[in-house]
Amino acid sequence: MNGREPEEILNRAAGAPHEVDPTLLARISDSLVSGLRPVRPRPPIWILASALFAITAAVAMAGGVALGLKGIAKLDALEIASIFGVLGVFTWTSALHCVTEMTPGSRRRLSSGAVLAAGSLLLAGVFALLFHDYRTTRFVHQGLVCLTLGLAHGLAAGLAGWLVLRRGFAVNPTAAGVAAGTLASLAGVGMLELHCPNLEALHVLVWHTAVVPVSAFAGAVLARFAMRNR
Amino acid sequence: MQPDIDLKALMVRYQDGDPVAAAALVHGLSGPLHRFFMLQTVSRRYADDLLQETWLRIHEVRHTYRRGEPVLPWLYAIARHVRVDHYRKVRRVETREQQVEQLPEIAAAQAEASDRDADLAALLSGLPESQRDVITMLKVLNMSIEEVARATSSSVGSVKQKAHRAYVTLRERLAGTKVRS
Repeated sequence: MNGREPEEILNRAAGAPHEVDPTLLARISDSLVSGLRPVRPRPPIWILASALFAITAAVAMAGGVALGLKGIAKLDALEIASIFGVLGVFTWTSALHCVTEMTPGSRRRLSSGAVLAAGSLLLAGVFALLFHDYRTTRFVHQGLVCLTLGLAHGLAAGLAGWLVLRRGFAVNPTAAGVAAGTLASLAGVGMLELHCPNLEALHVLVWHTAVVPVSAFAGAVLARFAMRNR
Repeated sequence: MQPDIDLKALMVRYQDGDPVAAAALVHGLSGPLHRFFMLQTVSRRYADDLLQETWLRIHEVRHTYRRGEPVLPWLYAIARHVRVDHYRKVRRVETREQQVEQLPEIAAAQAEASDRDADLAALLSGLPESQRDVITMLKVLNMSIEEVARATSSSVGSVKQKAHRAYVTLRERLAGTKVRS
């Protein structure tokens, strides 16, 4: 390799032919061709993302209605627009990202971790700006109730979302798990904003926001577990 | 390699169940795919196994190819996944079977590489896997930066950065070899 530039070696390699055992190629070709049937291509990304968005919104609304819309009743118009506006944008971004994670070779602008971090920070920022009651009444007890309810709704949304994504293929299962967990969590956060009447700043900031990273972590763990036991 | 426009048409026909298109894809794409595996510091036996596994996986998930999209990023994204999956399984089996012995060394595998690729394999062996993938796809398989970004699930900026870092490392290695000799 002495005296040569990397480009020279790479260019020489690029031009060189590479032989594969013809019997191996024939074997592969035969195995693919035998019993070959037409397949239905997956729908476009935007259709799948819209379906996931609709599922997330439906689970959040169903949960909110079932448990009582006590939270949204205490919010003013600005708070409703800010919180649900951010949730809508975060949900759409997560849905798009989730579909691209399940589609090999698709264009990615952000990693799953970046979507999770940016969305969580944005949500926490909105909560911090809107709520200024810094009391901490039954902070842990009420928080755990909200976290559990949020995660339960996330689980429901995750299971429903799986029906949409089941024909996909994750080239990076951990990233796909984080993306799916993040998206599912937003059904839980949406339900909490509709239902939870506790508007203490720290309660909303800590426990409502915590649903997102906890669910994303659970998604990653589940995906790794599924991959190992495949 | 065939132009991507032909690959797109063949993929559509493959999805529609055309056996001629399936065979044409296997014969047209297996050479570069096999080379991709060979340059990732694996032996010919591993490369053969990975090639077969990749085509089986492609066959299983051929419905995930989106019509009109470039074929190569889709194909190499699956190939990279198969390689990672394969190594994981091999490591698991070998850890169980030979607790004391070390895993086969990269150098031993490289010895099996063809003479033509020997320089290249040696040159790339010191690079981190992600940079090696980028350089192989960009320079050896002649894929565009956009295609490499899609195949590696990263951004165009990240691919450019990895390629730049890889070049810096390769130049330093070559300069070091020159000085020593």
